[in-house]
Amino acid sequence: MSSVWLPCGDYHQFYKEDQGWWQSTFIKMKMILLLLIVFVGIPMFLPGYYLSVGTMVGYTAMGALGVQLLIGYTGLVTLGHAAFIAVGAYTSTLLVLQFPWPKFFTDWGLAYPISIVAAGFIAGIWSVLFGLPSAKVKGFYLILTTMAAQFITVDFILTQYVSQIGGRGQAFSLPPGTIKIGPWVIDSDVKIYYLMAVLTTLIVIAMANLLRSKPGRAWVAIRDNDIAAEALGINIIRYKLLAFFVAGFFAGVAGAFWVSNTAALSPEHFPWFWSLWLVGVILIGGVGSIHGAIFGSVFMVLVMEGLQWAVIPLSAYYPKLLMDFAYIKDSAFGLAICAFLIYEPNGLSYRWWQIKNYFNLWPFSY
Amino acid sequence: MELFLMSLITGILVGGIYALVALGWVLIYKCSGVLNLAMGELTLIGAYVTLTFYQAGIPFILAVICTLLVGIVLGFVTERIFLDKLIGEPILAVIMVTVGLSFFFKGIVEFIWSTDTKVFDPPIFHIKPIELGFLKLSPVYLWSFVLAIFLLIIFVCFFKYTRWGLSMQATADDETAALSLGVSARFVYAAAWAIAFMSAGVGGALLGNINGINISIGYLGLLVLPAVVLGGLNSVPGAIVGGIIIGVLQNLSGAYLDQFFPGGVKEIVPFAFMAVFLLFKPYGLWGWERIERV
Repeated sequence: MSSVWLPCGDYHQFYKEDQGWWQSTFIKMKMILLLLIVFVGIPMFLPGYYLSVGTMVGYTAMGALGVQLLIGYTGLVTLGHAAFIAVGAYTSTLLVLQFPWPKFFTDWGLAYPISIVAAGFIAGIWSVLFGLPSAKVKGFYLILTTMAAQFITVDFILTQYVSQIGGRGQAFSLPPGTIKIGPWVIDSDVKIYYLMAVLTTLIVIAMANLLRSKPGRAWVAIRDNDIAAEALGINIIRYKLLAFFVAGFFAGVAGAFWVSNTAALSPEHFPWFWSLWLVGVILIGGVGSIHGAIFGSVFMVLVMEGLQWAVIPLSAYYPKLLMDFAYIKDSAFGLAICAFLIYEPNGLSYRWWQIKNYFNLWPFSY
Repeated sequence: MELFLMSLITGILVGGIYALVALGWVLIYKCSGVLNLAMGELTLIGAYVTLTFYQAGIPFILAVICTLLVGIVLGFVTERIFLDKLIGEPILAVIMVTVGLSFFFKGIVEFIWSTDTKVFDPPIFHIKPIELGFLKLSPVYLWSFVLAIFLLIIFVCFFKYTRWGLSMQATADDETAALSLGVSARFVYAAAWAIAFMSAGVGGALLGNINGINISIGYLGLLVLPAVVLGGLNSVPGAIVGGIIIGVLQNLSGAYLDQFFPGGVKEIVPFAFMAVFLLFKPYGLWGWERIERV
């Protein structure tokens, strides 16, 4: 057996083998190496700035994975995912700041971990609520109801009502030391990075496992042809709503994580732009693969950081460039989406697949 | 009662402006089957271009006509550069390209014209409201309403009686069949984008006269979406009726609901109404129902 992949002509005999986590020793080593790099290599050898970039990548990826589940696997286009991230963030903040925790919980630092799970569930339920029209409407009309979720949740409920709780006005400030997991206070770049890495890994594992079990197969069937899926006996409404729930859950966890990474929480962190950004991320990374969501997040965050680096030396001559950097970023993002859709519609994960195939047959390709 | 009538009439007139922007939306959908999410930014471009011409000393009517010409050119260029290559691609790809375009345009507009609010100076319409009995109507709204109805008639005739209009509808219905019958899809798309730029330009010019021009006009382009959906995505009269319904709904909720839910209830009611409405009529009022087969 080839150490990389199955050699030409060798096939798995059982579905179980085909869907296994560790199909070969090489893959196992590769994944362990990746985990080592993420958990040991990056935090040990890179300074804080790069860690915060890495944190941003993870935050984007957590949101993008939910979007990937909805768009890439179930075929339900959503343009309002930031709303569910916001719901998660606000649930977590309110639980940590306002909930009367017994002394036992605060002493052991259990409030924040519990709030992460609660944020996931509440965001999931909120997402199901706005997924209900998907039982009847499709395509463009569904896009519009998910947009409604964004405007109703963020621009109205959160801005006008939730932000008023506690009489603070616009933003919830999170004093240092409030976010605590067990004995650790999440206060430095490294700790935030580790929290991000753990949560992202858990979400990726959860999603991969869901996709290789019954719900995942049902989702793909719905995406490919929902009428045929219904004829096969799949309860499409149930699975569509389940997809909304899981995607909302991921978004809620991402939102609860964002709380640890910010000093004050305000609705401006979750604009409609961010929903579109997440969709752009999976389009650039590749629709319909977990790799795609991760590649897309890495690519987008790094390119935007790179753009900033490129603009700083130029700003000595054109100060307007740095002042209006946000607009340049918008334009660059828009152009990137257009260019990818026109020239590489399958996204980065397709490139990755091609590279893998090339080395699989190397040095004797057909 | 007076409050009710006042909100009703204002709603109908504001709805006229919504209908104008909604028309552009429906047109692109009707011609090419694409939901153009860059519509808000097209409106923004229209508003700023008109303003630039106006400030250069060109009379308002001429400035609008110049904007239309610029709109045609921009529409053709956009179509050739970005959308031409996507003929035959899945519809989600095309929609996301329009999202990309909306970011691109927005960034460029903000970069060129900055984000400060600008006003037409000297003002074009009288600020003094026209009084009809107890009703006070702002001339801007009245003119927009008249213009929207006028354009509606033109567009309906265009789609019903001209060769281009028919070939556009054919392309939207089935691109492959239309191509095989000798319809030039490239030309149809180019024309659709040119028309969308033009109608957004007129809408932007009028909207800019109400509260001045800033980036929120782009947001207003989005606010029109419920109107489009309510009427059905591919119905021209639907856009008008939907626009008016949304305008009325907005003003009535502003008048009556604001005391119970302070804040931006006016902006949110259309979206909430649309989400619930779609549960009962999934294709809007007069949208084509797609019969699906496996």
